[in-house]
Amino acid sequence: MRYYLRKLTFYLVALWSALTLNFLIPRMLPGDPVDILLAKLQQRGGAVDPSTRRAYELLLGTDSGESLPRQYVGYLGNLARGQLGISVSDFPAPVSSVIATSLPWTVVLVGLATLLSVLIGTGLGVLVGWRRGTWLDSLLPATTVLSAVPYFWLALILVAVLGSGLGWFPLLGGYDVTLTPGWNGPFLSSAVYHGVLPALTIVLSSAGAWLLGTRNMMVSTMAEDFVLTARAKGLRDSRIMAWYAARNAVLPTAAGFAISLGFVVAGSIVTEQVFAYPGIGAKLLQAVQSNDYALMQGIFLVITITVLGANLLVDLLYGLVDPRVRAGG
Amino acid sequence: MLCRTRASGLRASAVLVAAALVIAACGSSDDDGSGDADATLVAYTGQSSDYQINFNPYSSSIGGIGTIFEPLFYFNILRAAEPEPRLATNYSWNTDGTQLSITLRENVAWSDGQKFTARDVLFTLDLLTRHKEMNGAGFDGHATAPDETHVVVTFDRPSFVRGPQVLGRIYIVPEHKWKDIDNPATDTLSSPVGTGPYTLAEFKPQAFTYAANPNYWGGAPAVKKVRFLALSGNQSGEQALRARQVDWQSAPVPDVKNIEKNYPGYKALITPLNQMVLATCSNPALGCAGPQTDPAVRQAIYHGLHRTQTNTLAFEGTSSEISPGFGLLARDNAVISSRLRNRVAPMQPDTARARQLLEDAGYRRNGDGVYAKGGSQLSLTVKTVAGWADYITALSTMAQQLKQVGIKLTVEQLSWNEWTSQRQSGRFQLIMDSLNQGPAPDPYYLYSYFFGTQGTAKVGGKASTNWSRFSDPQVDRALAALTTLDPKNTAARQGHLDTVQTRVEESMAYIPVLTQGTVTEYHAAKFTGWPTGDAPYAMPAVWQSPDNAEVMKRLKPVGS
Repeated sequence: MRYYLRKLTFYLVALWSALTLNFLIPRMLPGDPVDILLAKLQQRGGAVDPSTRRAYELLLGTDSGESLPRQYVGYLGNLARGQLGISVSDFPAPVSSVIATSLPWTVVLVGLATLLSVLIGTGLGVLVGWRRGTWLDSLLPATTVLSAVPYFWLALILVAVLGSGLGWFPLLGGYDVTLTPGWNGPFLSSAVYHGVLPALTIVLSSAGAWLLGTRNMMVSTMAEDFVLTARAKGLRDSRIMAWYAARNAVLPTAAGFAISLGFVVAGSIVTEQVFAYPGIGAKLLQAVQSNDYALMQGIFLVITITVLGANLLVDLLYGLVDPRVRAGG
Repeated sequence: MLCRTRASGLRASAVLVAAALVIAACGSSDDDGSGDADATLVAYTGQSSDYQINFNPYSSSIGGIGTIFEPLFYFNILRAAEPEPRLATNYSWNTDGTQLSITLRENVAWSDGQKFTARDVLFTLDLLTRHKEMNGAGFDGHATAPDETHVVVTFDRPSFVRGPQVLGRIYIVPEHKWKDIDNPATDTLSSPVGTGPYTLAEFKPQAFTYAANPNYWGGAPAVKKVRFLALSGNQSGEQALRARQVDWQSAPVPDVKNIEKNYPGYKALITPLNQMVLATCSNPALGCAGPQTDPAVRQAIYHGLHRTQTNTLAFEGTSSEISPGFGLLARDNAVISSRLRNRVAPMQPDTARARQLLEDAGYRRNGDGVYAKGGSQLSLTVKTVAGWADYITALSTMAQQLKQVGIKLTVEQLSWNEWTSQRQSGRFQLIMDSLNQGPAPDPYYLYSYFFGTQGTAKVGGKASTNWSRFSDPQVDRALAALTTLDPKNTAARQGHLDTVQTRVEESMAYIPVLTQGTVTEYHAAKFTGWPTGDAPYAMPAVWQSPDNAEVMKRLKPVGS
């Protein structure tokens, strides 16, 4: 019990410090949202005269002149009430609705792709580790090369060959914009079709790392005494591989998977940029470029909570699975 | 997002360009999309993430300006011509410029069938007076309506120069809809009602679509549907153009001279509009420091630049000549002062002249070929935005050119936010930037934004537009005099315009580089009626409102 209490306290403190940093860091960025909006307006050929600036300051309410501590108290209070504020770059949409429209795209695409990549990588890793020294070993350099290639480069090559060249997949976007989003067949199949290529690039570029890790764990687990014992008992090979060796070898992978799920939200910026995919990564970029504090804070909050939540889950599960962890602290 | 024109346009890294070439080599689909009378015009403005619905013309909207909501007149800032009538048919000033009389168009209906009257105009103007946060046009008059089709706006002081803002930049909204809106400044208008040629057909975060307004007073437009896409920036816009998924966009593409070969069916139009400068923090009285505060240094840089070379190497030849008095060449030919020393900034460097200017100002060349005065080297830092590839290339060519003269120029790249903030607070020696035009084809606006004392502030304070901290009583007096003169009284105005231009040329607070060409690509095989030539009927850039609505109105599908 003490173990769980200690863990929970630790995560609460971590959450509070993350929220505080989340408040402070955007305010250290140069420039303010009004300047950015005006500079954009001006570059788009808009006539910016002094009255435009006054109007924008009043509209966005950025010129409040409130002191930093008061802003901080207000920020915590709003968070407690679930209010994330108004987005400046998507004015006047509330941050929560901006996040709500873009988050599902990222979670589904990157989440599924990460899951697939872990399943494929670990599965192959177990197999390659088990059959060490056979032709399967050549999978290692092949997948490692794919992981080592910069992600956006791999993505662009795939777009060029599969999308532009062969025309098998659409180049851009999350769905055919002539369809109506919702639970209808044509839209869902269009969304899946548009998601295949981005998902493929994520799987291709990340499966190698999982494969390598699992394979190495597998090899070292196979040298353990209990595997030898299992062999001596005359168990079937497939049973030894799955229930004795693999079960122990994938433990670190399970932990790694939970953590990488936490990063799903944050890790999609490049994918979304290359494929013009609607998602939270694109919104984060937009928020940073526009000094949109409220939106940045909202997205960081989502990231913080998912990362902390995933870690907490792993910690708690580890306590259950592995008694040594519980006793050790 | 970022400036669709040049900014994000040439942000692509070398790698991305290389990938684009790979894509090019792979060819594109067979469907050329031409010859369909019901064709949808697909436009891409450079929007780099999903749209959030907002069609409120007074609240940083994503669309609707010119298409759904119309102004009283359309001012084409590329042509020295009278504004074209839209919701109004005529306007006139009284002699001292304090009263503006407007005659409204009759038989105009809102898209919900209600009649458009003078009450709607009064309501809109009153809205701006009551809601300061909506008054970006700076409307400061008082409006009355003697009858259904006439509006009279009175001002406290001579306001000829405020005319284009009132007539061309205020978009009339329907009283019968807006009077019930609780907070008009933040309402996002999910079903906007306007008088314009288009209505909102549907909105999705990835695209919104306009449909032709069948009851438009000018006749329903021939292009029945116009869709604006959200992609992830100009790189994806370029890909979409290659795949013929976009018919109209305004962002530089590689090898624009050969567009008809690289993108079959497409053409490009280059529109010179914004004037690129090296803005200097010029005024020691307002806190500027550094060698650039010496006018001789600024003049030497002006004469040391090899503009033809910069144009070729950095802009693929899409830029053009610039006048040191900042009248827009071609459009402002009639008002460009004959008293300027150079009517057009020299395209070739005059190194001897530049050196002479520096030596007359007390600079001496030392062993390494760089000028120095009082023991300090003539070394300047110019700030630009990391990723603005064309500007960075341009600046490195200029650094080489100025090295020939004996001036050391160091290029510093900053993030866009940082750069914007430093530009405003005056914490720079030189920045590369461009000067934009105002609401009417009249150089007055550029002068008042960038050279008027009221647009500037001390270093450390926030200058709204006049980054160079230029302040000159003669220029201020001339600008004040221009506000009291009818734009039609060209003879009286010219004296003041001459004063401004000659002072601007002497001071070189903004060192003219070139006039930037905005590059627009359009699907000529699918639609006809695009703007052409040096003085097109509207600014063809897809992101420029209300000009883009003028283009949409005039297009016709090929084969219809």
